Amino acid sequence: MATVVIMPKVDMDQETGTVGQWVKQEGDSVKQGETILEIETDKVAIEVEAPASGILSGILFGEGETVPIATTIAYILEPGEALPSGAKPPKAAAAPVPAASAPASSGPGPGSNGTAKRTDWEVPVTPVARNMAAATGLDLSALHGSGPGGKVTKRDVEDALTPPAADANRYGKVYATPAARRVALERGVPLESVGGSGPGGRIQAADVEAYEIAVPEPVTLPPAPLAAEYEVVPLRGMRRTIAERLTSSYQQAPHIGFNLRADMTKFNQARAELNGHAEKTGGPRVSATALLVKIVASVLARHPWLNSSLQGEEIRLYREVNIGVAVALETGLIVPVVHKAGQKGVAEIGAEVKRLSTAAREGKLLPSEVRGGTFTISNLGPFGIEQFNAILNPPEAAILAVGATQNEVVANDSGEIEVRPIMRVTLTVDHRVVDGAVAALFVADLKATIESPVLLLL
Amino acid sequence: MREITYLEAVREAMTQEMERDEKVFLIGEDVGQYGGAFGASFGMLEKFGPDRILDTPITELGLTGAATGAALVGMRPIAEIMFMDFLTLASEQLVNQAAKLRFMFGGRATVPMVLRTPAGSGTGAAEHHSQSLENWFAHIPGLKVVMPSTPYDAKGLLISSIRDNNAVVFVEHKLLYKTKGPVPEEPYAIPLGQADVKREGKDLTIVATSVMVSRALEAAKTLAEEGIDVEIVDPRTIRPLDAEPIIQSVIKTGRVLIVHEAVKMGGYGGELAATIAESRAFGYLDAPIVRLAGRDIPIPYNRTLELSAVPQVPDIIAKAREIVQGKV
Repeated sequence: MATVVIMPKVDMDQETGTVGQWVKQEGDSVKQGETILEIETDKVAIEVEAPASGILSGILFGEGETVPIATTIAYILEPGEALPSGAKPPKAAAAPVPAASAPASSGPGPGSNGTAKRTDWEVPVTPVARNMAAATGLDLSALHGSGPGGKVTKRDVEDALTPPAADANRYGKVYATPAARRVALERGVPLESVGGSGPGGRIQAADVEAYEIAVPEPVTLPPAPLAAEYEVVPLRGMRRTIAERLTSSYQQAPHIGFNLRADMTKFNQARAELNGHAEKTGGPRVSATALLVKIVASVLARHPWLNSSLQGEEIRLYREVNIGVAVALETGLIVPVVHKAGQKGVAEIGAEVKRLSTAAREGKLLPSEVRGGTFTISNLGPFGIEQFNAILNPPEAAILAVGATQNEVVANDSGEIEVRPIMRVTLTVDHRVVDGAVAALFVADLKATIESPVLLLL
Repeated sequence: MREITYLEAVREAMTQEMERDEKVFLIGEDVGQYGGAFGASFGMLEKFGPDRILDTPITELGLTGAATGAALVGMRPIAEIMFMDFLTLASEQLVNQAAKLRFMFGGRATVPMVLRTPAGSGTGAAEHHSQSLENWFAHIPGLKVVMPSTPYDAKGLLISSIRDNNAVVFVEHKLLYKTKGPVPEEPYAIPLGQADVKREGKDLTIVATSVMVSRALEAAKTLAEEGIDVEIVDPRTIRPLDAEPIIQSVIKTGRVLIVHEAVKMGGYGGELAATIAESRAFGYLDAPIVRLAGRDIPIPYNRTLELSAVPQVPDIIAKAREIVQGKV
């Protein structure tokens, strides 16, 4: 509880008192009974003792100022306590009150100089809301008060402290209304790809409907003359999801592709060394995919725009690098995710890719294992594909299509002809987010690291 | 159709039922010579005599007990409690006896009584004469709770309440007594447990009770000018609750604002909100269910504070606008 320091009445007929010298200054710790200032009446000069122990704060009157008796001239606060809501701002540009020692993000505190912005002192605010804001460093002037007369209430502060999107990110969930979820389910729209127009970025039913509109209505074919001419496979389940997601991806995101050829000599050497080491230590062998995931994750850390997605009105640059690895199934395709790939070693990545691929083929992937991807790698090298283009895996902004490593005849730096193991890779990006030059820098960095995996040590 | 006031509708329902059935009688404080604190029984003592219009001492518990006993032996009493606040005093007889007896005697005893009482603020009557305690009684199995919002509903629902074989708490609103509306002259009954859509709309469902129905209708006019088309559902009886029209309406609009005068904390709005959330309407909600209700304080005497303590027309307009504009 703040204790007020008042102008004391020391004479029978005294009506005012004049502040003499402040013995203690704004922000000083004081003990009860300790002299904090001297005052003068028209008869005497007298010392005023601290009425409580604490921190002297909010000094309102300076030396020589005369005020009526019982006027509040300062406060003594407990450590960390804010000035009471009715308090006036300190007279002088004094040291900040303890409340303002909260994080640097705190808004204009009572001690700060006036700016065009409303200061806390001008914001109508309930006492509990003010205390909460002071304790958390929240800028009250930015809040919309829902109380009477626009007063900022406890609820307003609580709402500001826990933005819905933060909860959604923390738990890996989507912030959407029940109606939006229902519509998304009915239409097979992946909610995580839909931008939210509601308060706090909440996805509304209309957002899902708008997303759907981008996908064309299924074309109704005339009845087939002879059903025997073909086999009918109903579009459902995973097939339907693939159809809808990739159609909408291809229609919504302008795709651009970048081809590169990487000399795999050192990559293969590095892998051979890693596997040699694994043999000696009994560790697992490192697949080319695992090493590639490691390299891509490591390079992506330097190119955040390639590790992003456009969602509604915002572009999200992800702090984690979660690499999806496309796995072909008999009935379709699924992309399990190696989470935080940049922080894992190749052996760990290798084991995880193997486990996820097996789980994918057995249909045992957990929802959490296919969510949260920020970049996808699709490797058709094992099928002997030389080079191909991939469609973006929504809502990710980039995907890497990896071809087979084959011996090719190339001209080396000296203009001589050599045979080298070459892997062809195509990067596809969402041009709404990633421009050509940004993609080219990534591709160059990626090529350099594939061709010289020692750069992983950077 | 002829227009009469809500108060006249209440009196007409009592009068017509007393003419129809000699077992119906009225008991309460100042209901005879004085004609009722708000004039609901004005002239009825002259018409029916002191055997059927019974003035009692100031004893809510006593008169409720007398009514309960009379109902048990076959009479159909109407008891008037001058202010809903004093149902707290009558609660023992009402909650522990009248509501229970039918169950305790396996249906062989019934308590066909109506407990009429004016509720609500807005008259400057302060803390002890302004409360809305309907949810206290809606919580009790064995009671029915009726809250008419128009003269038409008041007459039809009171007639049904008198004819019902259960104890009915009939909550009238002081501010509605002088409002006028079309009311048929002949007796008619509106079934208990039948909600009424007071206004059709497509953008937002407002579920309102008692005086808040007329405030919501008033708000709807302004909102309509802004292009916000509000549907207003009046449950009319909060126990039993006719949930289906509310659910249908929420499915149609996807948004719902619940408005009542009683304090929000623990109020009936919570029951309505949960009913909607538990129903199939859940999957159609495109905004949080919002309640607008009395502030968490006793009704103040000060006029400005009193008006601020419960939802007024501008509050409903503002909240409805926020919901429809996607700000909540």
